Amino acid sequence: MTAPHEEEAPVRGMWRQGFEVFCENRLALVGVALFVLLAAFSFLGPLFYQTDQVHTDLTKVFLTPGTDGHPLGTDGVGYDQLGRLMLGGQTSIVVGLAAGLLATVVGTIWGAIAGFAGSWVDAVMMRVVDAMMSIPALFLFMLMASIVTPTVPMLIVIIGAFAWLGPARLVRGEALTLRTREYVMAMRGMGGTGGRAVRRHIIPNAIGTVIVNATFQVADAILYVAYLSFLGLGVPPPAANWGGMLSDGLSDTFSGHWWLLYPPGIAIILIVLAFNFIGDGLRDVFEVRLRRR
Amino acid sequence: MTRYLLTRLGQALVIVILVTLITFVILHLLPGGAARAILGKEATLEQIAAFNHEMGYDRPLWQQYAMYLQRLVQGDLGYSFQLNQSVAEAIWQRLPKTMLLSLASTFLAVVVAVPLGVVQAVRRNRWPDYTINGLSLLAYATPIFFMGLMMIILFSQVWPVLPPEAPQGFTLAEVLADPAGLVLPTLTLTILTVAVYSRYVRSSMVDNLNENYVRTARSKGLSEGRVIVGHTLRNGLFPVITLLGMYLPALFSGALVVERLFNYPGMGLLFWQAALKRDYPILLGVTLLISVATVLGALVADVLYAAVDPRVRLKAGRS
Amino acid sequence: MEASSEPLLRLRDLSTDIALRRGTVHALDHVNLEVNQGETLGIVGESGSGKTMTVLSVMGLLPTGGSVVGGEILFDGRDLRTMPAPELRRVRGVEMGMVFQDPLTSLNPTMRIGAQVAEPLRVHQGVSKAEARERAVEILRRVGMPRPDKIVDDYPHQLSGGMRQRVVIAMALIRSPRLLIADEPTTALDVTTQRQILELIDDLREEFRMAVILVTHDLGVIAGRADRVAVMYAGRVVETATTTELFRAPRHRYTEALMRALPESAADGRLYSIPGLPPDLSRPLTGCRFAPRCRFATDECRTTDVALTGDGHKFACLHPVAEPVPITVSTGHHRAAATSAADPILTVRDLVKEYDAGGAGLRRTAGRVSAVAGVSFDVKPGETLGIVGESGCGKSTVGRLVAGLEPATGGQIIVDGTDIATLDRRARHHMHRKVQLMFQDSYAAMNPRMRIDSILTEPLEIQQVGDAAARRARVSELLDQVGLPRRALERYPHEFSGGQLQRIGLARSLALRPRLIVADEPVSALDVSVQAQVLNLMRDLQGELGLSYVFISHDLSVVDYMADRIGVMYLGKLVEMGPAHQVVRAPRHPYTQALLDAVPSPDPGRTPSPDTTIRGELPSALNPPTGCRFRTRCPLAQDVCATEPVLEGGPHQVACHFPLRQEAPAA
Repeated sequence: MTAPHEEEAPVRGMWRQGFEVFCENRLALVGVALFVLLAAFSFLGPLFYQTDQVHTDLTKVFLTPGTDGHPLGTDGVGYDQLGRLMLGGQTSIVVGLAAGLLATVVGTIWGAIAGFAGSWVDAVMMRVVDAMMSIPALFLFMLMASIVTPTVPMLIVIIGAFAWLGPARLVRGEALTLRTREYVMAMRGMGGTGGRAVRRHIIPNAIGTVIVNATFQVADAILYVAYLSFLGLGVPPPAANWGGMLSDGLSDTFSGHWWLLYPPGIAIILIVLAFNFIGDGLRDVFEVRLRRR
Repeated sequence: MTRYLLTRLGQALVIVILVTLITFVILHLLPGGAARAILGKEATLEQIAAFNHEMGYDRPLWQQYAMYLQRLVQGDLGYSFQLNQSVAEAIWQRLPKTMLLSLASTFLAVVVAVPLGVVQAVRRNRWPDYTINGLSLLAYATPIFFMGLMMIILFSQVWPVLPPEAPQGFTLAEVLADPAGLVLPTLTLTILTVAVYSRYVRSSMVDNLNENYVRTARSKGLSEGRVIVGHTLRNGLFPVITLLGMYLPALFSGALVVERLFNYPGMGLLFWQAALKRDYPILLGVTLLISVATVLGALVADVLYAAVDPRVRLKAGRS
Repeated sequence: MEASSEPLLRLRDLSTDIALRRGTVHALDHVNLEVNQGETLGIVGESGSGKTMTVLSVMGLLPTGGSVVGGEILFDGRDLRTMPAPELRRVRGVEMGMVFQDPLTSLNPTMRIGAQVAEPLRVHQGVSKAEARERAVEILRRVGMPRPDKIVDDYPHQLSGGMRQRVVIAMALIRSPRLLIADEPTTALDVTTQRQILELIDDLREEFRMAVILVTHDLGVIAGRADRVAVMYAGRVVETATTTELFRAPRHRYTEALMRALPESAADGRLYSIPGLPPDLSRPLTGCRFAPRCRFATDECRTTDVALTGDGHKFACLHPVAEPVPITVSTGHHRAAATSAADPILTVRDLVKEYDAGGAGLRRTAGRVSAVAGVSFDVKPGETLGIVGESGCGKSTVGRLVAGLEPATGGQIIVDGTDIATLDRRARHHMHRKVQLMFQDSYAAMNPRMRIDSILTEPLEIQQVGDAAARRARVSELLDQVGLPRRALERYPHEFSGGQLQRIGLARSLALRPRLIVADEPVSALDVSVQAQVLNLMRDLQGELGLSYVFISHDLSVVDYMADRIGVMYLGKLVEMGPAHQVVRAPRHPYTQALLDAVPSPDPGRTPSPDTTIRGELPSALNPPTGCRFRTRCPLAQDVCATEPVLEGGPHQVACHFPLRQEAPAA
């Protein structure tokens, strides 16, 4: 409606404006805080709280929290549970971030090529995506995990190799709509090339959607690791991840070893929530910037 | 409309063929080739050569694929030496049970999620919206097996009213004979589904409530209830039909985890057991079948959507 | 209009707020208005003036966050604000009816027309389904729907915009309301359809003996239709009077400025423009709200609140216009004809553009849409060629083809002596320096993530003009030319108003020093006062830089003001072409005549002749009529019109077998 009065509105950069919008979303800030806390716990924690997470100690199994210098007790083979949570967090966060990133990169490239090329290239590439998407993800992951032995890098590749389908569809849709925007037309009217349209106009405008989606991809990847562990195809010990610890904890439920169950479960929920909150906050940022007034 | 149907059907067919191509490729990616994968690690070289010849695995790839397709069309999904049973038969025994679980929880999820989403949209950005949104996010962030376990602890341990294990019956009738055992698996799968559906219903309803036609309806002096039920609800729910199709892959993935957790003898459990034993014929057969089911489900949803929404129905019919 | 004792609707000190994320907008501030039984009240104002908020407050349809915070809404003597909810719904549902701006979105897409139209009867009067349907057919027939008994079972997307607006009107009328509120009912429609709809509302008002509130930004629409007018500015009513009185002798300085800013009243060849922008209503305001933009404002205006005073003709102005302003609907300002000896900068020969229809699906059997079908014209240096026509006539396509954005299907486009089809890649790239485009919606035409700085530099970068320093200097020069401060460079497009964005858009098209600018509806989205600023700027720069314009618009009065010559397009063809004043004042093609008659004139005395009204709807460009494409709607059409007429004549050409007049002898 009314325009800002130039004399009054201070000149603010895009980053600054985006930052302010992000901070307005309180849940997004909670998300960032949660992520920082969990990451610090997992990666910095071991510096202050050193435990042996390689050698089992069958003399100290199922110690209840608080006994014998184990604030969170020990598990069925004598690993200190608090230390193990730190170790497991490292794997979950690393696999989540890396797989999310991989999926986003692969998906973005695939979707962008399909969207820009159009016609039959687009049709073929998108049918491939459709086909892979119609295979339920967990079935595919298990199929792959049954062929190769899951290690941390392998998990990243397996999850990344199938999670890119969502971003691919998204980016292709963005590319298709952005291609027809009037500012791209205006640029062509100046004699600009297709390459310039992609570099200067389409990528900067599509990047927001991609980044928002990437945060959700990370959350999903962390859940996938948990599911694979639960289905018996996670990383083998002595490596650990929260999902695997949680699945191991399941079998101890009825023996009253609650400390093996709830801490990893809650940790997973918190980290997944954190990425969802951050994603929502980023979505606000990229939308508000475009909103007039 | 007919043309739309044909186009959509053609697309589905292409996707199914691509899916068979993917499973075919995976079969040949297997360590030691298909023969070793199927016959097991102990198979001798002679056995493998004989098997390869018998199955045509010594012929050019395209011929193998053609044979693979031909067998599929005849309903031959292969043979599981570990189960000593044909794959089709093994799947056929378990398919109805998985369908029961999936359909029941989809139905329940729709029944629960639609009112929730509508309430959220109508009371948007107020406490009912925030509460429901928070709960559905929480449900979404919880690994489904953890959620299931909470249900078991709650309803079988703390307050023991339901069995912690699914019915173990061999046939669908036997499973249905023990309805109490079905409650927890179904509920677990339902909660996750509700979390997804209600968010979708909410955003679809919010979009519709902001449309100009709603203002027109209000200008007729209609009560708010009539505006929502008579005008926005229908338009807001049409897209949910397509969501039912789109959500199928996630639903089946969820069913896999739930079947494993509750030891429910459906396709998911079959698949899981096969994965641990590296029983590739079963793995590929189930994957293929579940993908075809997904494609068909999405097709049905799209066609249904086109049939109920006059915009699609009539536009497609005229051009 | 017998003035019965009590007005049907009276607004007393109505105030409405809208709560937004950042603060509250005081959309209405003590609005006082009356509508008498059977009369038409026109509410006129620019965007943000509160005209729409006023009627939405009455109807209780305020957007989210909006609420009436003070005053009374007296309908038939009873205050709607204190009425219990069910009663209120009944009053609004039965005694009032509303017609909205955008007919394309104001109907429920998945409900049959009949059900929507008859819904108020079913709800408020409990009428049976069968009877409701009958009544719907009846009322649809009354609003001029062809085959109403079939259309009741149709869905909205099966109808054209004009037809949908008739449905909305039918829906409002089926309750026989005592008050009909029409909020910009024709803004989204073409002029010929606009005329049909406005006439319909007029007829129905008499037949149903209802009062009408006609909300519009268009003084022309008000002049022809309203009994009384209220002028709004920044949330307040600043002047009310009978229509004749207001147009004869406006008193408020804002009303005066608004009338002078109309392209029609540009007597001396230059528009009167109002500087600045309307105030931000979320801030506290004192004094007359127009004072910051008013040439007659004194300190008193800025500090004291000015109330509506006067009897009958009320206005809120301390320094009102003393003597009547003669509204000279200009008789043509006869711009000095461009030096016609020079070679044309642009020549278009038999231009053809066709598109595949229904591109979706595997097979493309749907046929070809003929968007432009054999158009020829040329543009001389320093000249403005106006192209007018209704939506779908192909005028924008011509613009895009000339600017080189799309390849033509056939014909030649010769820029500065070179056929652009013969150019190689590099030469074609270079050609863009000569021809530039200006868009209707500059906001959409600017990358939202680029600063104005980069936006203005982009054409220079693409064409590799100068080094960084030279480009910076050029950008500063451009800003000066369009009258924007340097500070604008650091900002993003969303921080500017519509008028400012058009200036930036113009600056960008000027960056490469082109010889020709194709301006596609450059002022259609702007309010009258801002439109005048942009039009003046375009003309000033034309004089300074010797530019040529191809000025594309649906608005004849704007084109008349801007153009030296005008081409009229109908369904992909040029039907008439000639000097602007001749085409507008002595049209030769029946379509041009109908178009001119349909334009509402801001002169209450002028009534359009009824016989040239065109009926019916624009035929599809897919399989257009053979021969003269206008013949299916032309009042003069005969058998011979099935053969295609040629565009012929001297300077004033027409493509018609039965031209309305002979060409005027060369002056």
